[in-house]
Amino acid sequence: MSMVTLTIDGQKIEAQEGQTILEVCRRNSLDIPTLCNHPALEPYGACRMCTVEVIRKGGSSLHTACTHPAWDGLEVKTNSSAVREVRKTIIGLLLSRCPNVPVIQELALEYGVKEPPFAADNPDEKCILCGLCVRVCNDLVKAHVLNFSQRGVDRVVGPPFMEKTRQCIGCGACTIVCPTGAIEIVLEKSAVYAAKPLGPTAAIYVPSLQAVPRVPVIDTDSCIRFRQRDRTNGEITDACGACQMLCEAGAIDFTQKDEIIELDVGVVIVATGFAMWDPKKLSQYSYGKSPNIITGDQFERLSNAGGPTSGQILLADGRKPEKVAIIHCIGSRDHNAHEYCSRICCMYALKHAHLVRDKTGAEVFEFYMDMRTFGKGYEEFYERVQEEGVNMIRGRGAEVEVLPDGKLRVKGEDANLGRIVSANVDMVVLCTAIEAQPDADKIGALFGLSRSQDGFFAEAHPKLRPVETNTDGVFLAGCAQGPRDVPDTVAHAGAAASMALALMDKGEVVISPTTAIVTRERCVGCGDCIPVCPYTAIARVDGKAEINAALCKGCGTCVATCPSGAIEALHFTDEQLVAQIEGVLAWV
Amino acid sequence: MIDEIRKAVAERLNDNRPEGRLDGIVALRKSSQGVAPHLFQKGDDLSELEIAPKYPLTTLVSKLHKRYPTIKLGIVARGCDERAYIEMAKRNQIDPDRLYIIGFACTAEDAQACYCPEPFPKNLVVGTPPAPGPVNPLVAKYDAMPLVERRAFWKQQFNKCLKCYGCRNICPECFCEACAMEDMAWVEPGLLAPPFPTFHLIRAMHMASRCVACRECEHACPAHIPLTVLYDLMRRDINDLLGYLPGADIQAKPPLSLSLEQSPLRQGAAH
Amino acid sequence: MGVEGFEPKIVAFMCNWCTYAGADNAGVARLESPANILPIRVMCSGRISPEAVMRAFRAGADGVLVMGCHIGDCHYAAGNHRTIKRMPLLRNLLSYVGVNPERMELVWVSAAEAPRFVQVTKAFTQKIKELGPLSQEVTE
Repeated sequence: MSMVTLTIDGQKIEAQEGQTILEVCRRNSLDIPTLCNHPALEPYGACRMCTVEVIRKGGSSLHTACTHPAWDGLEVKTNSSAVREVRKTIIGLLLSRCPNVPVIQELALEYGVKEPPFAADNPDEKCILCGLCVRVCNDLVKAHVLNFSQRGVDRVVGPPFMEKTRQCIGCGACTIVCPTGAIEIVLEKSAVYAAKPLGPTAAIYVPSLQAVPRVPVIDTDSCIRFRQRDRTNGEITDACGACQMLCEAGAIDFTQKDEIIELDVGVVIVATGFAMWDPKKLSQYSYGKSPNIITGDQFERLSNAGGPTSGQILLADGRKPEKVAIIHCIGSRDHNAHEYCSRICCMYALKHAHLVRDKTGAEVFEFYMDMRTFGKGYEEFYERVQEEGVNMIRGRGAEVEVLPDGKLRVKGEDANLGRIVSANVDMVVLCTAIEAQPDADKIGALFGLSRSQDGFFAEAHPKLRPVETNTDGVFLAGCAQGPRDVPDTVAHAGAAASMALALMDKGEVVISPTTAIVTRERCVGCGDCIPVCPYTAIARVDGKAEINAALCKGCGTCVATCPSGAIEALHFTDEQLVAQIEGVLAWV
Repeated sequence: MIDEIRKAVAERLNDNRPEGRLDGIVALRKSSQGVAPHLFQKGDDLSELEIAPKYPLTTLVSKLHKRYPTIKLGIVARGCDERAYIEMAKRNQIDPDRLYIIGFACTAEDAQACYCPEPFPKNLVVGTPPAPGPVNPLVAKYDAMPLVERRAFWKQQFNKCLKCYGCRNICPECFCEACAMEDMAWVEPGLLAPPFPTFHLIRAMHMASRCVACRECEHACPAHIPLTVLYDLMRRDINDLLGYLPGADIQAKPPLSLSLEQSPLRQGAAH
Repeated sequence: MGVEGFEPKIVAFMCNWCTYAGADNAGVARLESPANILPIRVMCSGRISPEAVMRAFRAGADGVLVMGCHIGDCHYAAGNHRTIKRMPLLRNLLSYVGVNPERMELVWVSAAEAPRFVQVTKAFTQKIKELGPLSQEVTE
């Protein structure tokens, strides 16, 4: 690409041949207003807002910067009086068409247009016929739903015959590019989250500011490109791709596939974590019936500076709450859900109470059964939060009712007062139980791990061996073994890592001595024993069974299977078993 | 029928094709001393070949196969012989590639006397299959028999047992080098008919996946104990529980060694 | 049926990883289970041959429990699959020779099921008490 030189507002600027004046201005931080322009779409020149004065061969003419190429030797004026006059006229026309669109009103203010020169046909009109939605739908998403129809004053944008069509994949691209907010995405079922702060994100997104690695991921279920590919059985594969187009690092590769990597390892640490219990399972908490009933981890996200509200504690409609209830033990310590205590919630509930007080000054009602603040500095924190004026109600928060006006009524017992109390609040935070992952049984089967009564993986000994399992070489770290908070998880995981390293370092492994051996003279080679061994330790050698002592784990199933008694389990021989049987029966 | 069998045996013995050649055919032979198993070879006098009284010839085949690893044999086989061979083949006691079966059908009288469920082999060469024998009347009414009666019946029967091991010795499926019934850990030597009949129960358990209902044990028992009543019940149970019938299918693997995925339990096995 | 003051002797074969650990946990939790239960530890319930169960009866047990891990949880993958096939056959066989099949039971108890261990052993002991001594049954 060769370079060209042009003058913009008196400045000599170098540009690449082929770029438009608008692109050059944007690159050089020269501000030109646009309405119908989008970096991922072909310029259209519909709104005319980017009109600039182009001086060439002594003559001046007005052109849209978005379509005019940046030729060598061009002189451009982006803010001359001629330009301003034209822009004023354009804005006046736009304002006449759409007097109530905020972005046009702002431009009118900026350019000194006080009144629309003409009366509006339809004062509520929002569409300025900029064609962005048409271009994105046809050129990028390739759903081919939207287009212009009719002529002149009747010109409209919409689907064919302005009828609802199944061609629309609901991608929302038109809504996103529309400069005036003329297009809305409406879910067929009434949307619970109507406001933007907690609303949907783009299909390519960074999961959170704390994500590791902190790179965007594509949700292939909502990504237009992937959905189009699925819809057309792989035929249209070049739909959208805006992210790839715009990525300067060229980091986006749509052909990436899941890779299955096979590794031979000697030690495994199972650190599969926990899942959040679904509070819909106890309907008295009304989770899902109001956008202002949220779980503890949803509150974490809300309060996070990188979250949807930049860390402000807001209700779903954007207002600040005046009263907030925080309820402990939702699904924990409950015979109808999980009997165990989830261990981490009391501390984070106090933290949330503190954040609400600090950020909003709202009144906080905390319904708790017991305050389990056992760790270093925990009790001191509890006292501090009490001093911050949080209302501590000692009794299970029993019920949350959604009132007709949207407020939430929390009912519970105040055991200290000995009566039922209720609080009408704006927001309820449910401290839900943490539980074992839903695929714990599959992971368990894979590694031969059993589960304790609470569903988490079973440690080898409840007191003395918290990170080992009954399977040699498989260790547990963190909440996979049971609820614990961050400092406890770090300690637990550190222990697991140390034991794993020690095992690997040793260079030799102690195996069980209770292996099985075959007495060849007694073996007739029937082969009943061979399929029985889960470790394929038994093979047929010269017509008789032979056991590989290194593979044998000593279960003894082959011993009981052999009809001849040709196999003996060391330290668990038939004679020893009989001696025990006779021994215990004689003893009684 | 016997002439046809002798003719079939003669034909096979005289077969000189490399793929058809047999080193001998195992069948019963009548001599001045009586009827006994014999390895008929080419040139032998086949007028001595007999089919009665019934005898489990597969045991001899197995011994010969093991002693002579390349020998190719034939066998004059009833249905039960073939079933016995199938279970032995699964357990590496007979090499199916080295055995040619000359099967013949039992008579209707034989079928009845043995309460035989299938009185003819699949590899049938001589005779027409008769109807299966009836179910042993003792077995047929067994479920209705109350525990007390069952107890009394077997107490009386097992009292007669003199631990001659005849049942075990004659059984084609009892080919183990070391026998659990002689294992001192389970069976006390020198003690006849203890109150808890471990001796008989061990054999019955082992018979669950092996008994092919040949009735040789019962024929051999000098005390005339109706052993096959128990074994028929075990055959029924393993069929109900695991869908396995010994002697039916050479491809079917014995289920007690397999996992539940390979051989699942079926419902309705408790009686 | 039951004999007055009869305390049955019950041999309970337990697999090391599940039932034995469960019984241990019952002890740790100070839950009371009947003293009639005489535990014999094996590494896997698959180790328990029908001969061993018969031997227990022969040696004087009035009842025999065969206990191990739940199907799918066996420490050795599928040892208990063989147990669950063998034991029903043995149970039926006992009934065929007139021994009350209720004297033998196959139960799965895991290491996490200490209360279940107690419940199972209590129920079985009670049942055997009602059935009376085995010696009575086989010498009748």
